Amino acid sequence: MIGCYVTGILPRPKKLIEVTRAYDRKKVDKETLEKAFQEATKEVIEAQVQAELSYITDGMLKWQDLLRPFTENLEGLAVGSLARWFNNNAFYRKPVILDTIRRTKNIVASITYIQFLPKDLPWKAILPAPYTFAKLSENKFYKNEREVMFAYAEAIREEIKNLAEIGFQYIQLSDPALVYNPLKEKIPKDMLVDVKEALRTAMKNAKVRSCLHTFFGDFSEILPEALDFPVNDLGIDMYETNVDKLKEYTFDGKGVALGLLDARGSLIEDEDELLRVVNELTETISSKTCDIFVCPNCDLEFLPWEKAREKIEVMSRVAKTLKARMHAHG
Amino acid sequence: MDKIFPTQEIGSLAKPAWRVKAYRGEPLSQEEISEAIEWGRKLGVEDTEALAKILKKREKTVEDRKAVLQWSALYAIRLFETAGLDIIFDGEQWRSEMYEHVIRNTEGFEFLGYVKSFDYRYFNKAACISKPKYVKPFYLDEFLFTKENTRKIIKVPFTGPYTLVDWTFNEYYEKKAASQARDFKQRKASARREFLFDLVKEVVRPEIAKLIEAGATWIQIDEPAATTNPSNEEMQLFVEAFNETVRGFNCTFSLHNCYSNYEVLAKYASQLRNCSQLALEFANRDSTQLGTDNKVRVGYRELKIFEEQGYHGNYGLGVIDVHTDFIEPPELVRDRILYAAKIVGDPGRIFVSTDCGLRTRKWEVSFAKLKNMVLGAELARMTLQ
Repeated sequence: MIGCYVTGILPRPKKLIEVTRAYDRKKVDKETLEKAFQEATKEVIEAQVQAELSYITDGMLKWQDLLRPFTENLEGLAVGSLARWFNNNAFYRKPVILDTIRRTKNIVASITYIQFLPKDLPWKAILPAPYTFAKLSENKFYKNEREVMFAYAEAIREEIKNLAEIGFQYIQLSDPALVYNPLKEKIPKDMLVDVKEALRTAMKNAKVRSCLHTFFGDFSEILPEALDFPVNDLGIDMYETNVDKLKEYTFDGKGVALGLLDARGSLIEDEDELLRVVNELTETISSKTCDIFVCPNCDLEFLPWEKAREKIEVMSRVAKTLKARMHAHG
Repeated sequence: MDKIFPTQEIGSLAKPAWRVKAYRGEPLSQEEISEAIEWGRKLGVEDTEALAKILKKREKTVEDRKAVLQWSALYAIRLFETAGLDIIFDGEQWRSEMYEHVIRNTEGFEFLGYVKSFDYRYFNKAACISKPKYVKPFYLDEFLFTKENTRKIIKVPFTGPYTLVDWTFNEYYEKKAASQARDFKQRKASARREFLFDLVKEVVRPEIAKLIEAGATWIQIDEPAATTNPSNEEMQLFVEAFNETVRGFNCTFSLHNCYSNYEVLAKYASQLRNCSQLALEFANRDSTQLGTDNKVRVGYRELKIFEEQGYHGNYGLGVIDVHTDFIEPPELVRDRILYAAKIVGDPGRIFVSTDCGLRTRKWEVSFAKLKNMVLGAELARMTLQ
């Protein structure tokens, strides 16, 4: 199977940015803000539908950062100070863990515009992965990061179950912290075993297709252990990954989500080049049964919406050409 | 300097409502005009009637708008002087913002629109679409104006090339590198490097040369993005860019960096050539209790790392938190300075500063903070003497 989808928070369209800024300066009321979010959400959903993406998200325009809905709505957490979002000129608020992490309500469903998602197309939801959540939190309660990771994994298990019940067919767990390693420290093998177990906890009994999407770092650094992670697909940031090292492995039984669209660069990719890269990679890393998703390397919110939309269209055309070639080759 | 603990500001000061509205050509309320006059009186600015006349005009000419910039720069200069600072500039009143100001005045860039910084805050991000070209001076006029209007030591804040590159999409060089590099990662890295050093050569150094020719003796390179990418490759790139920026100029250079990872910066600080001072933010990390012991002065711990890593230059010691309205008492400023002096071992290496520019604070708050900073420096001097 060849598919394509977005992998995170989409940029807010211009009009919505204007309204949010006005709201911040107390120039418009909450109702106006809400209306602007609704209009913009319809626009970004429509762009995905038009591009015929395999799974549709609501664009996550309301998400202030990837962690925030959980920081604000899981029990035992408080919203902390601003911190840099990896190596970007963007910031998130640290989750501060003060007590046992507990989920007492539906979190993603309550912030998602489910009513605008097309009924006849499959939906995708995106959540922070346990390792990233633990790594980016300020822990004032648990013994160590490992305990935080498992407590969060337990908490989102119900969340994922709830999303599956609502009708989401694809769950992506975003795990940038797992591969972001600028100081090139050796990743402990036992830590990767814990990550695998935490993923198992989070995904237990979930009747959805799943992906662990990594970005901002080199995916080849967590191989071969990642091949055993209990998810269907593995997401790779092609702008940070050592491709030669990647080619040393075969992804049998796993789908790959190739982050081929650079969400941190505004240059529109050359479609022929992307096709060549996919062909080269699939010849070595995947078996014939391996599913391939063409996608942005990370959240497209680092771009203005117009550029993001152009990239979504490129992604769609690349996936279509790949599909056509696959059919042509039987 | 003829005294220890000279005081300095870092750069920006808030733009008063009268400056913003009048520059945009919007009508001002009587209250806003009165505020301008009142501040003029407080700061001893002469002939504020001329300013009032411009502010009251319904239609403002290009000359009026330029005059408004000059008036607000003059006010900022007087504010710093009246607060008692030793080293000053004009509060960056001529600049729209540290990034936009340079990019808008340089050829080769196109603004693509706003991208999210956090929550409902955004910044206008440009793409480099052709080789950057220096077309006109962008800091010279404000420097000349400041020089004309003060006898204090002038330090020119200058947005550094590493930050400009880090905050800009790199379309031109990534496209150019497309056929040269094997994979995307290598391509982005080589394109970034070429962009950075072209910017230094084509834009940054020509402007520095103009400033020096016009009499600038101290330029502060502002690099808030310095440790955004803490990998060794990126930090080496940052160091190389700084060294290339200042190479061969007969001028004092310093570096300002704030809200960053100082453990990372400390490792590379000693490699910065011709960098007489590191102006760093510490007050934001510190407690507000009085005292000079380790338990109280938690915000200044990282000074030790710079010392241990072999940095021997001066410090612009941030003793004023620019993100709160809390007015630091002189005694707190004194204790922060004395604690730092103890760590550094040589009080002559400490210049007393705000953490960063004061652009997010109201003038009343900034003025009160700066006055106390000056008083605190004096208390510290008295203690050591």
